[in-house]
Amino acid sequence: MKTKKLNAKLIGNLAPYIGLIAVCVIFGLLTNGKLYSVTNLQSLTCQIIVTALATIGSIFVFGAGFFDISVTGCICFAAVLGGMATIKTGSLFVGLIVVIIVSLAFGIMKGVFASLVNVPFFIFTIVLGSVLSAAVLVILGSETTLYLRNAVTPVREFSFNEISIINIICLAGFFVVCLILFNYTSLGVKVKNMGGNIVSAKQSGISTKKTTITVFVICAIGFAIAAFLIMIRTRTVGGSTASGVGNDVMVALVLGGMPLSGGPKSKISAGILGAATITILNSGLSIMGLDTGQIQIFRGVIFIVVVLISSFSYRGKLLPR
Amino acid sequence: MEKELLFEAKKLSKHFGPTIALDEVDFKVYRGQITGLIGENGSGKSTITSIAAGMQPATSGEMFFKGQAHKPSTMIEGAKAGIGMIVQEQGTVSGISVAQNIFLGEEGRFKKAGLISKRKMNAEARKVLDNIRFYDVNPAAPIDSLNMQDRKLVEIAKVMYENPEMLVVDETTTALSQHGREIIYDIMRRMRDDNKAVVFISHDLEELIETCDTLTVLRDGKLITTLNKDEMKEDVIKRYMVGREMSEHYYREDYGGKISDEVVLKAESITTGTGMLMDFSMELHKGEILGIGGLSHCGMHELGRALFGEEKILEGKVTDVKTGDTITSPRSALLHGYGYVSKNRDTEALVLTASIKDNILAAGYDKVQKGPFLLPKDAKNYVNKQKDALSIKCASINQEVQYLSGGNKQKVVFGKWVGRDCDILILDCPTRGVDIGVKAAMYDLIDKMRKEGKSIVMISEELTELIGMSDRLLILKDGSLAGEFMRSKELSENDIINVMI
Repeated sequence: MKTKKLNAKLIGNLAPYIGLIAVCVIFGLLTNGKLYSVTNLQSLTCQIIVTALATIGSIFVFGAGFFDISVTGCICFAAVLGGMATIKTGSLFVGLIVVIIVSLAFGIMKGVFASLVNVPFFIFTIVLGSVLSAAVLVILGSETTLYLRNAVTPVREFSFNEISIINIICLAGFFVVCLILFNYTSLGVKVKNMGGNIVSAKQSGISTKKTTITVFVICAIGFAIAAFLIMIRTRTVGGSTASGVGNDVMVALVLGGMPLSGGPKSKISAGILGAATITILNSGLSIMGLDTGQIQIFRGVIFIVVVLISSFSYRGKLLPR
Repeated sequence: MEKELLFEAKKLSKHFGPTIALDEVDFKVYRGQITGLIGENGSGKSTITSIAAGMQPATSGEMFFKGQAHKPSTMIEGAKAGIGMIVQEQGTVSGISVAQNIFLGEEGRFKKAGLISKRKMNAEARKVLDNIRFYDVNPAAPIDSLNMQDRKLVEIAKVMYENPEMLVVDETTTALSQHGREIIYDIMRRMRDDNKAVVFISHDLEELIETCDTLTVLRDGKLITTLNKDEMKEDVIKRYMVGREMSEHYYREDYGGKISDEVVLKAESITTGTGMLMDFSMELHKGEILGIGGLSHCGMHELGRALFGEEKILEGKVTDVKTGDTITSPRSALLHGYGYVSKNRDTEALVLTASIKDNILAAGYDKVQKGPFLLPKDAKNYVNKQKDALSIKCASINQEVQYLSGGNKQKVVFGKWVGRDCDILILDCPTRGVDIGVKAAMYDLIDKMRKEGKSIVMISEELTELIGMSDRLLILKDGSLAGEFMRSKELSENDIINVMI
């Protein structure tokens, strides 16, 4: 009985790894190895890194029990304003600062709202997400896309290798910082307790307001880096920037082995594992010739199946109720 | 006259993991009698009746009802067989009317062309309420407009509507006023006179002696004895209830100690947001165990929350005397060295899906931190220390709290605060739902903390526990102080009940 329970726990812990390997093998075969062509690997890495940054940041937010649907909107808005600043000044550095400030501003706003206003938080993020998407369109006006090449002074163009190095440094840095914050400071304990039972967390003397704002700020930094990386890689910003990242983040969390309701089972590794799995899945499907709509449907199915399977093994809840 | 056997349990046992709640009990209920059941909390009274009513299955043993084998798997099956049960907890559904509560699940009876006739339902509900002689309630009124007691009576009407052959009244009367009690006594007597049967569970000895025809005493899951009407004497019953353990070391044994004059915590005319406490004041002295008791809804649980900064206080304030600071939130209470054990262990005091480690660290991480860092090794040592000190039975500290027994869960909650070395502990029903062995360990621990000069507020629904442990005992009634008792060997439950009701 005890060994059975232990085995189940072990399988539960390994499931995200098994899932990742399975996706790699299955889509490698289905695409006749095209998945692993050099060009595809390069673009895969870039996409995984953006999704991983957003997901790792979101682990703190979802982990503490906040369901955030405004991920895409926030990244897109920050990227567009950063892009505009870069084009106006010709300086990537100014662009980066703008991206960080905008992202942090939204992070703090969400944190304050989540800790002070007594409205279900996910409703707020639904509204915020759509308002931000609309705001981007308003700001862009008649243009649909802004190009960095139109900047007042030429903006530095990075070679692919340079981009890869920047990407990897950014992800590695953010991952390590988050790992330390989550596993080697009290923040992880606070996040897990808040997500698991906010009443108990409060009664344990955890300052839930401070923790809430902290998690949103950390998450916003992840979003800011992701937005900046998208901007320097694609050299364009527009209404469709970062589209799909929000959905990918949620699927990645679940595929990474963490319940969307957060709590004690939250873990940083879910960010990288889940982001890799979902991005490879997306890429494999698109190489196989499925169009965006079909990919969406397929991902939806995968998402439901994973949630269903994990709801068998977890006694706790995977989705917020 | 030979009474007819209605219900019989043979060698009925119930185990919860290693805990034996019921140990091969033989129990009989006869028609035309009110059978009393008494015993300490955790003695197995409610376990027997809940198995009979189908709330939970027995681990082993047989039951017979009306001569037939009886093994209900749900309460609905139990009710169909003819066993109705009125429990201690709230059993009405809020948001709907009195009549809708009574006919919950049977609305089909009032269907007319696909629509439910409220008029018909209300008229029928009136009859059901009249049947138990509960006249002063409108069946169309929303259930939430009724007070605790009236809701309880609606629940009773609902149970009686099923026309049970055997009625179980499980510690229902504690929540009721004299008027409510009269209604219940009346129902019980009528059941008896109709040659049906009643099983009456209560802590109130006088009430039991007055109402019951026979009284069965349980202790630690075993049936100790069954007394006839003429054998029922308070001291006899008590002796059977408590057995020998009581005379040994169970509660603390010292009397006549002097309480320090130093006040550590003060509540000054507090009125809470829920209106459960009105203009209430109290002081907690250093090194004392201050017992707080009263009937449910007397405001004692709100008082505990208010002292810990968890309850909204409209007027007045709670002051930490040493610093002169006002306690405004659990966080500020924690920083002043307070700890709080909630009455609602599973919903408020623990994260069930989290490990023992994460739960204990939630309140104690700042004790382990080195600078900004919380090293896994230090965290593990800290938690292991609490685990060993409280002898928490578990596979490892990474085990999820939800898989622990009630007593061990409570030890984890204690571990959160003991580890912090709190100076002031507010314990709300600290021994609720734990077995006698763990209870004794808790009492030991509480007494040890008192001796170390810590101040303890112990809120409890069990008078014996309050009498046995408190240096001073405050009894609340309707959110105000109804009486104060000092520690004494002579202090009896009756003295206290008199001011409680």
